[in-house]
Amino acid sequence: MTRRGELTFLAAASVLVGFGTAFVNLSRGQPVDAEVGLSSIVFALAFLGFYWGVKALAPNASPHPLLIASALGAIGFIEVYRLDPRLGSLQRWWFLVAAGLAVGLLAILRSDGLDVVRRYRYTMLVAALVLLLLPLLPLAGSFPIKGRLVNGSRLWVTAGFGNLSLGFQPGEIAKIVIIGFLAAFLSDHRAALAAVTHKVGGITVPDPRQLVPVGIAWVASVAVMVVQRDLGASLLLFAAFITLLYAATGQVSYLGIGGGLFLAGSLAAWRLFDHVAVRVAAWLQPFDDPFGSGYQIVQGLYAMGSGGLTGAGFGLGRPDLIPFAATDFVFAAVGEELGLAGSVVVITLYALMVAAGAGIALQARNQFRKLLAAGLTFIFGIQVILIIGGVVRLLPLTGITLPFMSYGGSSLVANFLLLALLARISHEERA
Amino acid sequence: MNGPIRRVVYALFVGMALLLLSTTYIQAVAAPKYRSDPANSRVLIAQADKERGAIVDRNGLILATSEETSSARRSFTRKYPLGEITSHPVGYSTVLFGEAGVEAAFSDRLRSRQDLAISDMLTAMFGGDLRPQSLRLSLDATLQQVAAESLGDRLGAIVALDPKTGGILAWVSHPGFDPTRIPDPAYASAVEADPTSPLVDRARSATYPPASTFKLIVAAEAIESGVATPDTLFVDLRGLELPGSTAILRNAGGDFCAGGDDVDLRTALVRSCNIPFASLAMTLGSDAIGSRAALFGFNAPIPWGLPTLASVWPDYSGDLAALAQAGIGERDVRATPLQMALVAAGIANDGEVMLPFLLDAIFDADGEVLEQQVPRPFGRAMAPSTANALTELMVGVVERGTGTRARVSGIRVAGKTGTSEAGTNPPAWFVGFAPADEPIIALAVVVEGGGVDGSGATIAAPMARRLFEYWLLGR
Repeated sequence: MTRRGELTFLAAASVLVGFGTAFVNLSRGQPVDAEVGLSSIVFALAFLGFYWGVKALAPNASPHPLLIASALGAIGFIEVYRLDPRLGSLQRWWFLVAAGLAVGLLAILRSDGLDVVRRYRYTMLVAALVLLLLPLLPLAGSFPIKGRLVNGSRLWVTAGFGNLSLGFQPGEIAKIVIIGFLAAFLSDHRAALAAVTHKVGGITVPDPRQLVPVGIAWVASVAVMVVQRDLGASLLLFAAFITLLYAATGQVSYLGIGGGLFLAGSLAAWRLFDHVAVRVAAWLQPFDDPFGSGYQIVQGLYAMGSGGLTGAGFGLGRPDLIPFAATDFVFAAVGEELGLAGSVVVITLYALMVAAGAGIALQARNQFRKLLAAGLTFIFGIQVILIIGGVVRLLPLTGITLPFMSYGGSSLVANFLLLALLARISHEERA
Repeated sequence: MNGPIRRVVYALFVGMALLLLSTTYIQAVAAPKYRSDPANSRVLIAQADKERGAIVDRNGLILATSEETSSARRSFTRKYPLGEITSHPVGYSTVLFGEAGVEAAFSDRLRSRQDLAISDMLTAMFGGDLRPQSLRLSLDATLQQVAAESLGDRLGAIVALDPKTGGILAWVSHPGFDPTRIPDPAYASAVEADPTSPLVDRARSATYPPASTFKLIVAAEAIESGVATPDTLFVDLRGLELPGSTAILRNAGGDFCAGGDDVDLRTALVRSCNIPFASLAMTLGSDAIGSRAALFGFNAPIPWGLPTLASVWPDYSGDLAALAQAGIGERDVRATPLQMALVAAGIANDGEVMLPFLLDAIFDADGEVLEQQVPRPFGRAMAPSTANALTELMVGVVERGTGTRARVSGIRVAGKTGTSEAGTNPPAWFVGFAPADEPIIALAVVVEGGGVDGSGATIAAPMARRLFEYWLLGR
């Protein structure tokens, strides 16, 4: 795509945001006001700013992930604005903040490149652990950063500075940092991790030493689930780790061990933890308790079914009937208002994003960059499958965000950082 | 490393393909099921702001209407000018709180069909009218008001109907509610939580011991079967020892019915004496009384379009003591106010019970009559001669018996009082009709707790008189 084509694409996404928000206002019987222009302009500033940042700091980068993200971001933003204009007006600033931080990351990486990431891998591991543990800070006290309990999970921190307080989910950032660490660690030790296998009767049996890293990841994932009650993050981290370990070593046995541990952990969680058992029941038989545990899933199904093939149109359905529509269930909300047509577009865009990330990983010559690109692509794809799969009843529902579409600052920041890393990888490979 | 990476990416693509499949199933295959599921609030919301047809009384007075709140969005709110007074028969139609009354029973006629469902578009293509239709009820708004005023603050119900057609003239259940405010969740939940149950339509969804008004059915069975005539004599006792029990059944007041020798059926009914009717019930048997009660509508919901509780005559075969008490409308005999109004109406209409109706006619949006109610018989409860004999007895009740407070000057009124003494909230009753020779109104009045501070004679009969006076004399 030419530079002009890329700019036209981003401009079109911004215009789409303007038209979409205008349509939402009109369908609510409200005038087209300054909100519409402001949304469109701030959205354009965020994406064009990031685009120019990439052109300036990583000029050889592949433009595709950013373009796909702008399309997803536009659809998601209109739906969030439609569900709650107040959330929408916050979300557009989060786009700007996230794009700014992503450009900042590119600037940091400008001179030394991704070697910085590699060099500070253990610092990153510690940082990731700290980020994961931050929400366990006391809920009250004099310390400016406090944990926050939201819907039974300890995923949030509140940073208070005087009267200003800011909520954030550090786990979202931790996911990216952990992938950075894993890519660095695995590119160092892949040979050792791949070599040690024994054949017993024709079957490849892993060496006990191989079990150690898998075991650590498993324990960490279980800890996230038990301590923070975050099923989604736990599944996501474990699945990303196992697939990346497999990608680094080519050892199918890791998938076997990981799968086995995953099944054992799932079974234990289902038996031991009520909140997991409730979710499994709501997944298998949501209509058994349509006003209780199955409520959200049932409302999501009603929304998507009511949308049908072509949808009600932005602002003309009732996706606001779904609890947490703007975060967990934004896919169902888009499904109601844009219909199956819109749902297919969204899933296709995510598949294209995975393809773009995979392309960057496959073309990379440097092992670390290859693993980093692969890890970021995997965690992105797995997250999309987990949350949409939960909404469409393919999987039990886990409360994680849909990248670039769900409302939420932490999620947007994390995904823009992911875009910046992919841009930097492709830039270094093409340089 | 590219091989494993490729394979993981393929796995992700497979996962996304499954997402597409599942999404397609939900939005294409299962969509109609989810879209029309009654638990899907969108079904009701689609009707929420839509225009609904008007509901008017027999004289065209508006009882319910849709007022446009925003012409840009064509959104409407439902208004009920008479408010609480017509709240139970007219009911309400809301998104959050469902529907009730006529609004519920004829919702399909009142609703606008312009909601772009494919079936509606086909209807329109073939010239069908999608605009909401309007209803005219048989109710008379002024009589309704008189009934509500006469009931006052007492909990209870009044049902009045035209005995010749079955058309309901007044239908009051107190307490009521303000139907215009039901869409407000705070108001709706407050009303729902109210211990006096304002949302329960006592006229059809509550049953009470019919007490002495049930004697009309026992007398009907006795006369019709030839077991007794109005002149048949009974031994006049102070107390009747119930068979197989130590309990003693007494007349109201505990004295003889007519001085202590013999008493005829006529006097027993006029003075509402319990002992003759208890012995009569034991003579007739549980099955005979039950069959007669069923001819009036007992033991099955009245099939008239609105959900109605069945009135109950239990099987007392083999338990004479219980049968004796049931024969005077106590024990576990239960009746809705509507049921007892039908008993009065059946006697008034020469023994033929007409099926009650609230809906008089349906109009299209241009005011053309689409359907006109045709009076339909529910069934014959007794021969005309029996009905005439009972009418004479009931006239005696009002002229010289327990029902004198229902008397209207210059008009022969027929009636029967009832006062329950059982339970914590024993009701007081009056059922009757007028004029006795050419009845144009039959009614039932029930007052909860009326048996505590009064009786059917002192509390219910005066209320009935006010309805008779308005309907017959216009005052």
